[in-house]
Amino acid sequence: MNQPPAEKLSGVGLGLRWEFLDEVLEGPPLAVAFFEVSPENYMRRGGYYPAALERIGDRYPLVTHGLTLSLGGTTPPPSEYLSELRTETRRLKTPFHSDHLSFGTFGARVFHELLPLKLSGESARRVADRVRQVEDFLALPMAVENITWYAHPGAQEMPEADFIAEVLHESGASLLLDVNNVWVNAQNQGFDPQAFISNLPLDRVVEIHVAGHSRTSSGLILDTHGAPVVDPVLELLEWTLERTGPVPVLLERDNEIPELSVLLAEVEKLRSVYERAIRKKEARLARSA
Amino acid sequence: MMADLVFGPELAVDDRASLLARIERSGVPEPDRDALLASDLSRLLVYRKLVRANLRDAMFSSIPRTMSRLGPLFDEYFDRFLADCAPQTHYLRDVTVELLDFCAPLWPEDPRVPDWAMDLARHEAVQIEVGAKAGGAHDEGTGALELDAPVQFIEAVRLMRYGWAVHLLSEDLDDRTVPEPRRTDLFVYRSPEHEVRYLELTPLAAAILERLLAGQALGASIREACAALTVEVDEAVIQGSARVLADLGERGALIGKREDQRA
Repeated sequence: MNQPPAEKLSGVGLGLRWEFLDEVLEGPPLAVAFFEVSPENYMRRGGYYPAALERIGDRYPLVTHGLTLSLGGTTPPPSEYLSELRTETRRLKTPFHSDHLSFGTFGARVFHELLPLKLSGESARRVADRVRQVEDFLALPMAVENITWYAHPGAQEMPEADFIAEVLHESGASLLLDVNNVWVNAQNQGFDPQAFISNLPLDRVVEIHVAGHSRTSSGLILDTHGAPVVDPVLELLEWTLERTGPVPVLLERDNEIPELSVLLAEVEKLRSVYERAIRKKEARLARSA
Repeated sequence: MMADLVFGPELAVDDRASLLARIERSGVPEPDRDALLASDLSRLLVYRKLVRANLRDAMFSSIPRTMSRLGPLFDEYFDRFLADCAPQTHYLRDVTVELLDFCAPLWPEDPRVPDWAMDLARHEAVQIEVGAKAGGAHDEGTGALELDAPVQFIEAVRLMRYGWAVHLLSEDLDDRTVPEPRRTDLFVYRSPEHEVRYLELTPLAAAILERLLAGQALGASIREACAALTVEVDEAVIQGSARVLADLGERGALIGKREDQRA
């Protein structure tokens, strides 16, 4: 596998949520380049939502972003789950499928949350093997996403950026770079987010995520996807896009979901950032030429 | 180790002795053990809060009235469910049913749990269950019904049999009315417009539908249901059964004769 996506996405998209699904379905065309969906919410399911999603897929490009593949889990995902995932990714005609650099299962138990992996060579190779197996099964290119993490499960053997690079190198997968996750980790762990991103193989980035977060009373920042994207993350997004070029950007909002009009205004704001960054990159290329 | 921290008993943020015991029980190798012991335990425990809040939110969207009525008692069983088996499904919407299956043999033994609680929980949960049930390969029209052939329903149907009239309770989360203790049979189905609908059945209609849903032939279902309820199979029963089945057909829940087998 590892072929580049057949249909290249670009521009700024929005995570599709049931709270505004009807509005997307019944309203006029929206200035949204694509919608991202979590296939687990539609897989092995009948009724209203899969039917509605199919109609949305006729109007907008869709890309799938999974939650429970548990790429770092010690046991492989159940074959029925993978078969359903394959059916759904084909139904939605996604150009690639992404999931997280995390584990979400332990034996048969499913956490329904993204738990941090041990940052080690052994762990990177296990994830890479799993990514290749899933890619082959789905017959679809995979992208892996860096997560927010609050504690490391043991002795950290390598920096996170090196871990990500090794997974990408060993698996051949692409990177879904979550800029908010980098920024949140940088604040919580005390590192420079730009230096972190500079150490990633940015030519492998196929999509960028941004979202809002919240701060607990202890000062820890949690990746809640429950607030607008903050200015420092927008600045980091612009800085990143100047280096990656025009890869698609997605706004995620999973909690405290406002009116669609509010989200569309945020998409518009992100589009300004996106276009400014691409203009800067093109100007720099023109100067160097 | 993370599974233990997340699903196991609560751990105080300064309880290093218990943390060490759990690490050793989990067989964590030495370098990782030392790193974990030196780490900020409050950050490790963030995952316990995140996992539990996510699962609890999913359950609340499915069985809010049961959770409100049981209060801390629900939390106790939620903790037991996580500690003893935890979710096994990759689909968040199915976790509630796993919890209820876990509680089903336990609640009747616990005098603190009201007798109607499982009926109410099942009644609340069936809305998402039927609303989300996958369509089947047989959800297409088949031939007219025959007495010696089974009946084909759409996939998204359930027969719910309660000992309490929980379906008549208010939707209000603060309502604490005790449901009336009476046998209640509901046929729950998803309409072609994707709405979940409920039909209250007579005991005989429920007995017939129960057998039809189990795959028995139409004639045998009527005969056995009547025998079980000591009702004579007469013209009124035949006409009544035909009316119920025709009604289910008009509602899109019954497709016709099952073609694949004969009794």
